[in-house]
Amino acid sequence: MTETEILHWVKDTWLGVTVSRSRWLFATGETFHFIGLSLMVGGLLIVDLRILGFLRRMPLKSAMAFLPFVIVGFLINLATGIEFFFADPFMYWPNPAFKLKLFLIFVAGINALVATIVLHRHAKHAGLDDDNFDALTKATAGLSLSLWLVVILLGRLLPAFEGSTEFF
Amino acid sequence: MNFLAWLEQTDFSVWLRESDWGHPIVLCFHAVGMGLVVGISFMFCARVLGYSRKIPLDAFDRLFHLAWFGFWMNAVSGVVLFSGSPRRLLETPAFVIKMVLIAAAGFSLWLLARTLQGVMKPAGASARLSELEAMPAGARVAAAFTVLFWIGTIVAGRLIAYTIGPPPI
Repeated sequence: MTETEILHWVKDTWLGVTVSRSRWLFATGETFHFIGLSLMVGGLLIVDLRILGFLRRMPLKSAMAFLPFVIVGFLINLATGIEFFFADPFMYWPNPAFKLKLFLIFVAGINALVATIVLHRHAKHAGLDDDNFDALTKATAGLSLSLWLVVILLGRLLPAFEGSTEFF
Repeated sequence: MNFLAWLEQTDFSVWLRESDWGHPIVLCFHAVGMGLVVGISFMFCARVLGYSRKIPLDAFDRLFHLAWFGFWMNAVSGVVLFSGSPRRLLETPAFVIKMVLIAAAGFSLWLLARTLQGVMKPAGASARLSELEAMPAGARVAAAFTVLFWIGTIVAGRLIAYTIGPPPI
């Protein structure tokens, strides 16, 4: 299948047809996308700022307890994001802001994986109460906040890139 | 109304409506500010409602500075967005409802803070609310309403985009 054929297939799936024909499904999805965004930002701020050393009054374990909010927010946004893409694949796919957004989400995923590994290693060697994270652990936290910030900006800038196939 | 009609015809207002970039750039700020205000509110309210009880409530102090930063970011970007289509926005029910809901969310957050302060005082200034066995019922109600009002604000904000009238010629 060529790229165009795949996009046509996406558009003609049950999901694609249902969402693009409905008057409110897309708008409802957007609302959930924003709620998911807020859950992710709120949870990530606590976890990442804590690792970076900004919220020292918060016990590390309690800060980490906010991770489920991040995961739930991400799943909401993954589901609604798929909904948007299926409704209008020909708008999203050629859009350079969309491609970069997907790529950065992928990078953020790898970064989260690395963070999990180094945090586990840290907990094993120093214990969960030790707050002196090494530079690598702090770097993953800083990178996480930066990547998701750019992901939000790119999402909002999508319409400005509609119709263009390259950034410059 | 005359002022709004004048505002609508300023170069800036026209640029905001008609350029490719004006609107999306201001919306970028608005989305980040929303994440800060609503995100931090959600986490704090979750804590008040019983999530992760071991967290001392005053550990949120610095996060509230960030939330205020987000609030002002959205107040400014909101005024800028308003200047792009002032008359049309005032005629859109979803916009008016959104403003009311923001005020309601702010009020219930203020009420939440006041309830918690009232509880903390008798035990002395250094007392941490985390040491309390149970959160006062008033605080829980205020936290639940705060979450509902912010969700309502987001819903109303989305509805503006779908129900606003056509731009002036």
